[in-house]
Formats: sequence, C-alpha cells, structure tokens
Amino acid sequence: MTSMDYWRSLPLKAKLLLLTLSVSCLGIVLVCISLVVVEHQAYKKQLESELITVASILAEQSAAAVLFRDQNQLDTIIASLRQIETIEQVCIYDANGEVLSSFQEKAGEVCPSTSGTLDEGFSEKHYTMMRPILIEGDAVGSFYLKSRLQVLREHIRKFILYALVISVTIISILVLIAFKLQRLVSQPIQELSDAVETIARDEDYSVRVRVAGDDELGRLGAAFNDMISTIQQQNRRITRSKDELERVVETRTAQLRLANSELEAFSYSVSHDLRQPLRAIEGFGLALEEDCADRLDDTGRDYLRRIRAATIRMGSLIDGLLILSRVSRKQLDVDVIDLSAMLREIVEELEEVDAAKKSVIEIEEGMKVTGDERLLRIAFQNLLQNAWKYSSRQSERRIRVSSDRQSETITVRIDDNGVGFDMKYVDKLFVSFNRLHSPSDFPGSGLGLATVYRIVNRHAGSVRAESAVDRGATFFVELPRKPDDS
Amino acid sequence: MDRRSIVLVEDNPDDQFLAVRALSRLVDKSAIHVLNDGQEALDCLLGSPLTLPSIDLDSIAVILLDIKLPKINGLEVLRALRSSPRAQWIPVVMVTSTDEPHELVDAYRLGANSYLVKPIDYGEFKARMEVLANYWLNVNSIPLVESGERNG
Repeated sequence: MTSMDYWRSLPLKAKLLLLTLSVSCLGIVLVCISLVVVEHQAYKKQLESELITVASILAEQSAAAVLFRDQNQLDTIIASLRQIETIEQVCIYDANGEVLSSFQEKAGEVCPSTSGTLDEGFSEKHYTMMRPILIEGDAVGSFYLKSRLQVLREHIRKFILYALVISVTIISILVLIAFKLQRLVSQPIQELSDAVETIARDEDYSVRVRVAGDDELGRLGAAFNDMISTIQQQNRRITRSKDELERVVETRTAQLRLANSELEAFSYSVSHDLRQPLRAIEGFGLALEEDCADRLDDTGRDYLRRIRAATIRMGSLIDGLLILSRVSRKQLDVDVIDLSAMLREIVEELEEVDAAKKSVIEIEEGMKVTGDERLLRIAFQNLLQNAWKYSSRQSERRIRVSSDRQSETITVRIDDNGVGFDMKYVDKLFVSFNRLHSPSDFPGSGLGLATVYRIVNRHAGSVRAESAVDRGATFFVELPRKPDDS
Repeated sequence: MDRRSIVLVEDNPDDQFLAVRALSRLVDKSAIHVLNDGQEALDCLLGSPLTLPSIDLDSIAVILLDIKLPKINGLEVLRALRSSPRAQWIPVVMVTSTDEPHELVDAYRLGANSYLVKPIDYGEFKARMEVLANYWLNVNSIPLVESGERNG
C-alpha cells in the first residue's frame, strides 16, 4: 500500500486532525527555530559586551603594573580574573610582546605571540580578544583574553529545552482543541456517510440527516434530505402503481381463468349437445332409408342422401372447431421431435386412405424440431392433407418436404404440384372458415390452416405460403430452434 | 350362467332408439335393458336401501354407459359399480359423444373396459355396435363372483 493509498483510506476525522496538527507543528517549530536564532545572537552580543567591559577594566587596572613591571600587582589582577568562571586564558604582555603574567586552565597552553595574526572574536568554542594596554594614548603592553562559550551553549540548550516543553504543551492543547473542533466539520460528513450507508444497506428511505448551519455542509445535508424525500416519494408512487398493476393483473387473470373455463364448458357442450341432434338426424335418415326404402322413389332417396351428407359435413365442422379450440387451450408439452419420422407416418396414413394415384413423396431425413408432439402432428397432418388433396388432380402427385436450418430457427418447407392458389387471396388462407376452393371442387372445413396457424403461433413460430394458380403451392413453417435439437 | 343381456344407460330417447336398433341384429330386444339416467342405473344395478336390484347382475354381458347423464353422471355410476363387490367385474363400455382427453383418462382410471365415441355417421355407429356386442357377448369371459366373496 503506498502512502497515497494509506492517506485515502484514512477517515476524514483523522485527516482533519493530521492536517491541523502538522500545520500547527510546523508553525511552532519555525517560531522556535527563529526564537533560538535570535536569542543566540542576542546572548552572544551580551556576552561580548560583558567581556569587553571586563577587558577594559583589566586594561585600566593593569596599565600601571605593566609600566612599572609590578609582578605582584599583575598576579593579583590575574588571580582576580580567575574568579570569572568563563575565562580560560589570560596573558599580559609588555610593549615588546613578552609575557609578563599569564593564567591558563589547561596546563601547557602557551600564550599566542603578539606579532602574529590572531583570529579575534567568536570561534567555535571560544571568544578571544587581544587588546593594547594604553596610558594616555601610548601602548605600554597588551593583553590576551580567551573565554569559553560554554555559557552561551548552555543558555541556548536551556532555551531550546524550554521551547520544546512549551511547544509540546501548546501542541497537546492544540490536539485537544482540534479534536473538539474537527467534529464541527467531520461530524456532519460522518452523519451523511452513515445515512447513505444505512440507506444502501436497509433501503430505508425514511432516514434523514441533521442539518446544522448554512455553510456548504449544511446545504449538502439539506440537498441530501431533499433528494431522499424525492426518492421516497417516487418509491411510494412506484409501489402504489405496482400494487395497482398487480391487482389489475390478478383481476384480469381471474377473468381470463373464468373465460377459459367458460370456453371449456362451451366447447364441451358444443361437442356433446350439438352432435347429439346430428346423430339423430343422420341415424333416423339411415333408418328411414333402410326401413322404408320401398315407400321412397329415387328423388326421395336422393333427398335423404343429401340430408345425411350435410349432417356428416356439419359433424366434421364441429370436430374441426373442437380441435381448433383445444389447440388454443392445451398446455404445451415441449420435447425434441423427429419430424421426418412423424411426416412419414402421416404420409403412410394418407396412402392407406387413398392409394389410387401414383405419388412421389420426398421427405428430408433427420429433420428435428422442438415442440408439442400432438399439436405439431395435427399441424403437419393438415399441411400434408392439403398438399395431398390439392394435388389429387395431377397425373402424378409430387410432394417434397425439406428444411433450412438457421442459427435460431428451422424452416420446414412443403412443396406440392397441386392446383395452387392466387396470391391475392393469401391473406385469407389462415382465417377460420375462409376457403379458396368450393367444397364441390375440394372438400374441407375451412379450419385446417387456421388450426395450423394457431399451433405454429403457440410455438412462437410463423407460417406462410407461396403459390400461383396451377403451379403448386409451397408452405413455410418457421419454428424456433433449441440448442439441443442439433 | 350364460351372460346374454346388455344394459344401456342413455338419457336421450333418439340415441336409445338408434342404439337398440343397432344392437337388435345380434341381441333380442328383451335382453336389452334401457336405463334413463344415473340414478336409475344405480337403483336397478345395485339396489337402493328400500329395493333390490331389478336386473340380475349375473346375466349382464356388458354395460354401455353414457358419460353425460342427468342426476348422476356416467363416471360416478362407474365408480359405484367398481366399488361394489357384486358388480366390479362387469364390463363397462363408455359410449359418449365427446373424446375430451380428461374424460377419457378419468374413465380408464375408474376402471372402464373400453371407450367409444358415437360417430355421427349412423352406418359407422351400427358397425361399431355390432363389433362391440359380438365381442362382449360371444368372445369375452368374466370371472365368476362367488357368493359371500367380499372384495373392494
């Protein structure tokens, strides 16, 4: 983790605290350093002036003694200087530069010569000075004074210590104050952050933050509260409309269920109650024909035959309607189906009923579709029956079933060489009870292709047709593909 | 005992007439018992608390039972027959107008022996009835119900 990352991960509180502290520490340190520097200079000056005073007193007192070479007097003066703690070495010279008297703390230290150059003033550890001893303006000798600067250093050390103690005290007080004051800034932000977290975690939009003051933080808090209120209101509105929608869906579902069960009851009674009278008409018609044939002439028998044929046709219409209504109601049992095998079975059934005409039937091998087997069988039965029926007038019946697999769909194509139809009626092809041929040409209920349309629709597919009169017809059934029907 | 009689439970008089007419080539009319609804079927076949069965169960070769009947429907009659020890083995052929898949399933679940949809074409109906009567009268065998045997 880099220091930048560490800084970013620090809580706001700590950041504020650190910032305040580092800035104030820096200030305090700078102030201390400048104070130390100033104090150092001032103390040096004071020291120098003290020494200069001492030196001038020394020069004055020793002038006569040097002139008269009063060794005793000189030694007394030197001895009095020894009392001053900071003085390390004193040398008194005559006019020729010979040492008359000297004192040195460290044994073996020699007095510097008066003729050589001497670094006067402050050196690292000492303050040194060489002064002439004057009597009425004439130099009668000179003296050398070397003073330790330990006092200065100790003074400065002490000064730094005091500065440190004071700084630490000030910083401690600052820490306390900063700790208290940072809350003014960080507390509202902390509250805001806590509120956001609570909302994100519990989705509780009733949470509000305390708004204090009219600064940026206060405005931020107020804006936040406004925003949450808006969200809360919107949520309430969404929940309300969702509830409403659910109620509507429930009502509609109930209505739909009722309608469905009514439809079921309806189709049941259609199938049962409409067929019963038809059976009676047909049955008594045949009974009449059988039992009273001798009392009927050819016309009567023809009428009877027509009555019975119409009755049977009505029966097949009812059956077609029933199949159509069942196709809409039946639940889909979806499975992968071997369409080629299914089509071959259907063709076999057709050939059993009508094998008079030579038929060339081609069915592509290995076609597989996904769907409800019973419904798809009804659909393809209708399509093949149509192809079979409408190509019955050709000298040779030709039906070809092939498929085209796309990535998500499979299109099954059924071609016949039958009578076809005019494309301008193509819209009516898949509508219940719409027929493009008269029953005398080709029998049929007008429900077959409507049933096909519904079945394919229920499989989320589509069906369409292309044809021209006397050119055969082609039906395309497009069904969605599942990944597993290869 | 020879089982020569057929019971027809059918509420519609036209259907009754046409069915009896279709059957009469193989069976004597007196051997065809026509019952008009589910209640009558139960009374005549199983008896009521006050009456004994009016039809000798041991003479019945097959019961032709319509599903849609007034009062008590055919499926309930079938259930009652199958839970009666005396009538449980009697062949029951459901003869009905519809081929509603769930009724077909219910009928077999309750123990129907066969299911026949009445076609509108009467010629076809006659042919089927003849095949049916011939089979249940002349081909089929039924286990004897021993007196005192109780079986549910």
